[in-house]
Amino acid sequence: MNKSHHAQKATGKGDPQCFTGEAGPPKFKVGDRVRIKDLPDIFYTRCQVYTRGAVGEVAVVTHESPAPEDEAWDNVDRPEWFYIVRFKQSELWPDYPAAYANDTLQTEFSERWLEPV
Amino acid sequence: MAKKSPGEHKAAPMVEEVSDFEILELAVRELAIEKGLFTADDHRHFTEFAHSIGPLPAARLVAKAWLDPKFKKLALEDGVTASKEVGIDWLNPTGFGTPSDYTDLRVLEDTPTVKHVVVCTLCSCYPRPILGHSPEWYRTPNYRRRIVRWPRQVLSEFGLQLPENVEIRVEDSNQKCRFMVMPMRPDGTEDWSEEELAAIVTRDCLIGVALPRPDRKQNAQRPVHKAIHPVQHDH
Repeated sequence: MNKSHHAQKATGKGDPQCFTGEAGPPKFKVGDRVRIKDLPDIFYTRCQVYTRGAVGEVAVVTHESPAPEDEAWDNVDRPEWFYIVRFKQSELWPDYPAAYANDTLQTEFSERWLEPV
Repeated sequence: MAKKSPGEHKAAPMVEEVSDFEILELAVRELAIEKGLFTADDHRHFTEFAHSIGPLPAARLVAKAWLDPKFKKLALEDGVTASKEVGIDWLNPTGFGTPSDYTDLRVLEDTPTVKHVVVCTLCSCYPRPILGHSPEWYRTPNYRRRIVRWPRQVLSEFGLQLPENVEIRVEDSNQKCRFMVMPMRPDGTEDWSEEELAAIVTRDCLIGVALPRPDRKQNAQRPVHKAIHPVQHDH
């Protein structure tokens, strides 16, 4: 079995650029309010527990790529759009000091983790 | 204590602490070598390369952007293309055929009201082609856990205190994007050349835990102290 297909696909283009055009139209745009779903993650995920259930705003629509939950098992035939989402720190940590209400945190999600608010 | 006869004394065994992940890396590496994916010498060569690169290209990128608004626009829109102008090809960063892992560099621009700081809470994502190896503290659970939750406290431990009206924006790098910070050009650097400017953009400024200062250069001369008992070379 040839297991270098991923490297071959990315050669000369880069990863995630090699998945460009494979995910269809993005469901969200910059400025959209989204909630992070609390999906099961028995095997592998890159979605931090501290973001589950939090509401933020799409800051950047980044690229198309298989979600890590799939790619970890070499399932690369269903790429998704990825989004950098910006949260108010007070949304993530209830005891974040009110004096620093402007502070934010950004991190990235594949589309399956987001639902519109 | 029982008296030991000569020869009975044994030195304590040397114990090297190896983590599970280091064992896993060794196992995968040995399998890859056995299967002929690369040789042990290829691996050593890559390791030597990886330890020899540093943050200078990223410092150069920032200095260039400070001086050239067109280049700054490019850097903010397409970090991978902008990297080429400072000699870094993300698709072929080593020059001997070893690819980067991922190739989506994002440059985060600080403003008078927004200060970025980068972390990877999951492990150690870092824009290595342009910044070199991450510092040891960047990979520690201490930094990774605390910077997202108490960023102001952690930054103040690095000596960086910012007023309330400045938004601290933590970037938790968890997917295929890699991030570097473009700090603001400090006062007192008017008329400086690109080279002079690049010298004050240190690694920590590019991660976001420090601000560039005109009096702090990464290639600063260190004082040389005379040895108390110098070695004599005249015999």
